[in-house]
Amino acid sequence: MSLFWIAIRQLAEIEEQMATSKKVITREEWEKRLNDIKIRKEDMNKLVMNFLVTEGYVEAAEKFRIESGAEPDIDLATITDRMAVKRAVQCGNVEDAIEKVNDLNPEILDTNPQLFFHLQQQRLIELIRNGKVEEALEFAQEELAPRGEENQSFLEELERTVSLLAFEDVSNCPVGELLDISQRLKTANEVNAAILTSQSHEKDPKLPSLLKMLIWAQNQLDEKAAYPRINDLSNATLEDPAV
Amino acid sequence: MNSSNSNNGESNNGKSSSFDSLNQDLGLYFLELARLGSSKAPTDMEEDEEEAPKELNTINSSGGFLVVAPDKLSVKYPTINLHGHDVGVIQADKPVPVKRLLYYFEIYVKNAGAKGQIAIGFTNEGFKMRRQPGWEVNSCGYHGDDGFLYHGQGKGDAFGPTYTAGDTVGGGINYASQEFFFTKNGALVGTVSGEKEMKSRLFPTIAVHSQNEEVHVNFGQKKFAFDLKEYEAQERLKQQMTIEKIALPPNISYGLVRSYLLHYGYEDTLKSFDLASKSTIPPIYIAQENGFDEQDIVYALNQRKILRQLIRNGKIDAAISKLRDWYPQLVQDDKSATCFLLHCQKFIELVRVGALEEAVKYGRIELAKFFELTNFEYLVQDCVALLAYVRPQESSVGYLLEESQRDLVADTVNAMILSTNPNMKDMQGCLQSYLERLLRQLTACCLERRSANGDQGEAFHLHRVLNSGGNLKC
Repeated sequence: MSLFWIAIRQLAEIEEQMATSKKVITREEWEKRLNDIKIRKEDMNKLVMNFLVTEGYVEAAEKFRIESGAEPDIDLATITDRMAVKRAVQCGNVEDAIEKVNDLNPEILDTNPQLFFHLQQQRLIELIRNGKVEEALEFAQEELAPRGEENQSFLEELERTVSLLAFEDVSNCPVGELLDISQRLKTANEVNAAILTSQSHEKDPKLPSLLKMLIWAQNQLDEKAAYPRINDLSNATLEDPAV
Repeated sequence: MNSSNSNNGESNNGKSSSFDSLNQDLGLYFLELARLGSSKAPTDMEEDEEEAPKELNTINSSGGFLVVAPDKLSVKYPTINLHGHDVGVIQADKPVPVKRLLYYFEIYVKNAGAKGQIAIGFTNEGFKMRRQPGWEVNSCGYHGDDGFLYHGQGKGDAFGPTYTAGDTVGGGINYASQEFFFTKNGALVGTVSGEKEMKSRLFPTIAVHSQNEEVHVNFGQKKFAFDLKEYEAQERLKQQMTIEKIALPPNISYGLVRSYLLHYGYEDTLKSFDLASKSTIPPIYIAQENGFDEQDIVYALNQRKILRQLIRNGKIDAAISKLRDWYPQLVQDDKSATCFLLHCQKFIELVRVGALEEAVKYGRIELAKFFELTNFEYLVQDCVALLAYVRPQESSVGYLLEESQRDLVADTVNAMILSTNPNMKDMQGCLQSYLERLLRQLTACCLERRSANGDQGEAFHLHRVLNSGGNLKC
């Protein structure tokens, strides 16, 4: 009797597989395909160099050029300047950052009103963080309010920021996140991206996009086939297809 | 080091298809890579080979129901139509090419004739050539008289505006979204799902059905009214944006770059990288997955760096000497792929500086013995061929003189040293970094997905992605 039920179950499984009609690719077959693919060493080096350069690892990029022969796609000298600006914002020295950006290229802030507003907003946040209430209010009224009048979303942001002053315990208030370091990092990334764009370079490294594409491609392929997946990107191990 | 050169004749293409056996000569992997890098390797420019429609097909058209101009790019409906089975239909001479993101063509309505019953669309091979495209299964058509879209049956759906004399109407296929799209006078009219129809081989099709209708077709020999390039860019962007939304584990890129540097022995870069990461804001913490992995690759980092430097600078003798000191087992068997690659490189370096007599002497001593062995033959032949040219770098074997060849030898030595690590479990760890494995998986998935879609759409080429300035396509 139990053999009968085993057979029934197997038939049901086969029928289910046929209904979903998913192709099954064995590990052996998949590994053979992987080996047939040609990946050039120079292309991988280029990918790594692109990462180092976009993320601002100047010395590492310089050493990598010597050790691997890969050529950076930006002038390494410009990276140091860009990193100085980014770091200044990350440390809360916004005035310094603005000065540096203008030294680098005055057009960047001129052509980027949103970036400029966010930098000024960060300045305001730092003043509030340091308890300089009077200075903060003066700054908000003189520098930021005029921008707010030109642009509704700037005005809303300005009001949010100023509301920090209304709270004794800023860590618990609804706009407390503005004081978080993540806000500084957001602004820092924005200015980093603007500088890269002004240098006609892409603002994001290619590697993360390729990794996202891998996740996407696997998800897409899941609909059509059962095959060995890589689920943990950090160690790139193949997992046998679930059949 | 056990070498399995006796299996040379039998192994499939000399490629190690499985990395499990510790006895396999790892060097053969790189030997095969070198062959792929030579000019004899097939290129992957398949998209250029696919033929595209250029003109109308006068052989299988509706015969007496329409008149085709001698240039095969325009048609007229000469008589009075009587019923639904005397449509003047004509297809293009070639089917729609599939190995790309989009395909598109246009018609210009010169004369709408008595009833303006013109259509543009796509039909399959063997379509009933007396019916409007869209009126039968496996076809689709945008009709000018009612502005309806027909796909697969006599009843259509409201789709867009009607069109008549003086209008330029276009029809296209989007393989990424598996849709048909139509345009009128440079503006997109709409899209419709074409998954069912796209399973067949489709032909661009036009049709006329009332007296004096005249239509001209444009397969790309003239500029289109519709900005196809812009549309293509927009569609790519859409796909890119979907992909960008995907979340990645934190610091994954950082970790992969780091393990890449470790794997290949780029010690100085790694040191700078680690130093810089300590002072980033916020500091990057790499979770030690298992200290085991890390230790394996830190193994012999300094030695691997030194050897890579020597080889990249062409100092092969010094490299071999150091290998004899540090890892005698790797250079013990003179017939191993590693030794072979080193000898070839020495030969190449001698040719590079013009010491041809010395090169010949060296070749006789060290390379001659490889002539009969299957896996090694091509490389020996190519190396020796260098001697035949006054300017070898411009010849078909000039690739041997490039930096990439030195780098390949350095990678071989690197892998061999990694393989001496007693903790190394499987050989794949010596041959491919995690980054490389991920890139291979990406390529394989894209290829399989495209194959499952009947080979439609663009193929993924890492090389093109890296050099395209950011437009990632899959």
